[in-house]
Amino acid sequence: MKQCDLCGAADATIHVRQMDKAGSVTEIDVCEECARKRGFSEIEKIQNDVAQVLAEMKDKVAVEDAQLVCPGCGMSYADFKRQGRLGCPRCYDAFGEKLLPLVRRIHGAVQHVGRSTRSGVKHAQVKMTAQRLRLELEDAIKSEDYERAARLRDELSHVERQEAD
Amino acid sequence: MSSDKKPTETGRWLDATGPDADVVVSVRVRFARNLEGVPFANRAQPADQDRVVGAARLALEDTGYLGSGRFVDDEQLGDDRCRLLLERHLVSPHFADSRLRRGLYIGDGEAASLMVNEEDHLRFQSLASGLDFPRAFEAASELDEKLESQLAYAFSAELGFLTACPTNLGTGMRASVLVHLPGLVLSREIEKVLRGAVQIGLAVRGLYGEGSEVKGNLFQVSNQKTLGQSESEILETVTDIARQVVDYERKAREYLIKNLRTETEDKVFRSLALLRSARILTTDEAINLLATVRFGVALGVINEVSLGQASRLLVLVRPANLQELLGEKLAPPERDERRATFVRESLTREA
Repeated sequence: MKQCDLCGAADATIHVRQMDKAGSVTEIDVCEECARKRGFSEIEKIQNDVAQVLAEMKDKVAVEDAQLVCPGCGMSYADFKRQGRLGCPRCYDAFGEKLLPLVRRIHGAVQHVGRSTRSGVKHAQVKMTAQRLRLELEDAIKSEDYERAARLRDELSHVERQEAD
Repeated sequence: MSSDKKPTETGRWLDATGPDADVVVSVRVRFARNLEGVPFANRAQPADQDRVVGAARLALEDTGYLGSGRFVDDEQLGDDRCRLLLERHLVSPHFADSRLRRGLYIGDGEAASLMVNEEDHLRFQSLASGLDFPRAFEAASELDEKLESQLAYAFSAELGFLTACPTNLGTGMRASVLVHLPGLVLSREIEKVLRGAVQIGLAVRGLYGEGSEVKGNLFQVSNQKTLGQSESEILETVTDIARQVVDYERKAREYLIKNLRTETEDKVFRSLALLRSARILTTDEAINLLATVRFGVALGVINEVSLGQASRLLVLVRPANLQELLGEKLAPPERDERRATFVRESLTREA
């Protein structure tokens, strides 16, 4: 083991990296004794803190995974990670954010192209209609055509209700 | 099996009448679909599983599919029967081993089948002889559309058809081609060709798909990705690769005939002679010899056997099919004797 850069006697167990105000970095290896004397003892604590933070983060993810439960079938994201199979179609909504990176890794894509169900086609049409109405509404408000804006707003709220179904 | 047809009758897709049948045994197009509002098969309660079986059966009945095909309940899906259906490529290994409440539809001529409560609620497929994806796709799509008119599929505009495993999302479609590649194996080019297919994102598997062994130089090539590409794009990719594989295989065969004619003829005729003379044949030996005979027929070296006959025998010699054929359950030693007799008689009769 390397010897302490300060006393030159004891084994160096702590690596110190110091940066001054100008940004230049000095790196030294010191023994525990010298570290304490020079007030480097905090470093050990910081190292422990980092390890603890990482462990806590991992626990937090595990807790999050266990608490993220699909309202459709009661399956948790932790269950899915263990089994590799989802519990019901609604799991995709429930686990959406966590699942998408996995879906991208598998397929290299996250948007379906190709055949759609009849209701799927309708859903896509409703979505597009809502989008068009929102743009038109913005336009109407900008040009201060309030009569048209009111009409569009009614239409949009009707379509949005369909979208939510 | 309580089927009214003769047990020697195999699926039409095995008759080797399709395009490129010298290399391509068959193609398969399968769709995975699930019902909205019901947990996926693995997580569904038995009552829900039964409900899905009932709904699928009713949908098939209402769309006229039960007129020509038949529906088999879980009670009738014993281990022996499942084995037989697996050997005929009508069910998956996962379905055959499953302890869920299942249902199975088998279409006329075994060209189509639908598994209820495999990994997904519905897994249906259509098979066709040779490199004929249009035929297989049209039949499977028609079934899909008819079923959708009766059932509410789980679907999202973003992720497409929702499946129990994210690997099947999107189109839920797998297009696979069963190719016979003895030329590439003999000329040691096989690794290179299959690696090329894998690099393009296709999967290469054994005879019964996922996790199964390669036997008789028969390989299954299929698309891996199901999301982000349309059905026709997927079919195009798999067809393109299959065409290339067919070309390579034919070139390898030409090379063998041109440069190693005697050795090649010796190999295929020895296989035929063994099949016509052996008194004991294990399944694996029979499959390997029959595959070599099929190769000889495709090369035009063997004329007294047809491609279709060789392909059909490749299925009929498998244990559960043989048992069905003989009408009794036999222990392996006796079964191997009876297999030899059956093969010998089939191949001598033809001559």
